[in-house]
Amino acid sequence: MLSFFNILLLQEAESRFALMKQAAMNPDLSKFLVIGALLFIIGVAGVLTRRNIIVIFMSIELILNAANLNFIAFSRYLSETNADNALAGQIFTVFVIVVAAAEAAIGLGIVIALYRNKETIWVDEIDLLKW
Amino acid sequence: MARNAVHSALFLISSLVSVAALFVLARAEFIAGVQILVYVGGVMVLFLFVIMLVNVGAEERGAEEIFNNQRQVTASLIFCLLLVGGMLYSINIGYGGLQARRKTTPETVAAQEAIRDQAHAPSATGSSRITRDTENVGNSLYRYASLPFEIASVLLLVAIIGSVMLARTLKQEAAADDVDPGVAE
Repeated sequence: MLSFFNILLLQEAESRFALMKQAAMNPDLSKFLVIGALLFIIGVAGVLTRRNIIVIFMSIELILNAANLNFIAFSRYLSETNADNALAGQIFTVFVIVVAAAEAAIGLGIVIALYRNKETIWVDEIDLLKW
Repeated sequence: MARNAVHSALFLISSLVSVAALFVLARAEFIAGVQILVYVGGVMVLFLFVIMLVNVGAEERGAEEIFNNQRQVTASLIFCLLLVGGMLYSINIGYGGLQARRKTTPETVAAQEAIRDQAHAPSATGSSRITRDTENVGNSLYRYASLPFEIASVLLLVAIIGSVMLARTLKQEAAADDVDPGVAE
């Protein structure tokens, strides 16, 4: 009886494994979207909880990357349905990367200027505009 | 939990590389290469340089707990729970619609892509095939998005000049305002 159940479980596990393998070979849209959403949430949590301004910038990069992942996922989905503008997502991702690079350069320049004037990188100590 | 900003940067590099691997999985090989080159090779190196420059005086506060501000943690928890709820809700609604719109199954898509892959030229070693993703992205980029492309180049130029202006010291600013004695004569 026990061995019968074991065989059942084994077959169950094997079929599960085959399904998982097939799913890993053909990732569909929802998995990319879930990973993108999780990355986005992790980035938002980093922006909201951390106080080191450089780590906050890195969390923003993570958020932008989540958006990129969603663009790529939808681009792949559209190319599966043979849409004519399927590569728009990839083009948009290029522009997002360009803007992210520009943002990082400017932001880090601001961080350096701030550090030179205030000697701190902790955002709770930068309260000059706080009323 | 990485309290050290350098550890955070290294973990972010690993996650960026993982996202690049996901791009390869989604058949966006050019974007994956750009991701590695620009993010890991450019932006993260910039981050690490700035951490090295700025983090020297941050050691005394670096050891304190991350989640020590109750209000901040509460606000972020509420916000993240809202985001998770929105994600689950939208997946619930949207996935059915996407599946209904999609006329192909994963098997037929895989078969189509296998046929498409067979049309690609084999690489020099013969073990793999050369993707045409870069060519397609370039074609679409210049056909549909040539004006945004030019605007992006202007944006990068502005960013370069702006970061140089922001990062220079007072002494350098004063020196830039000085009239060169050779010119004044």
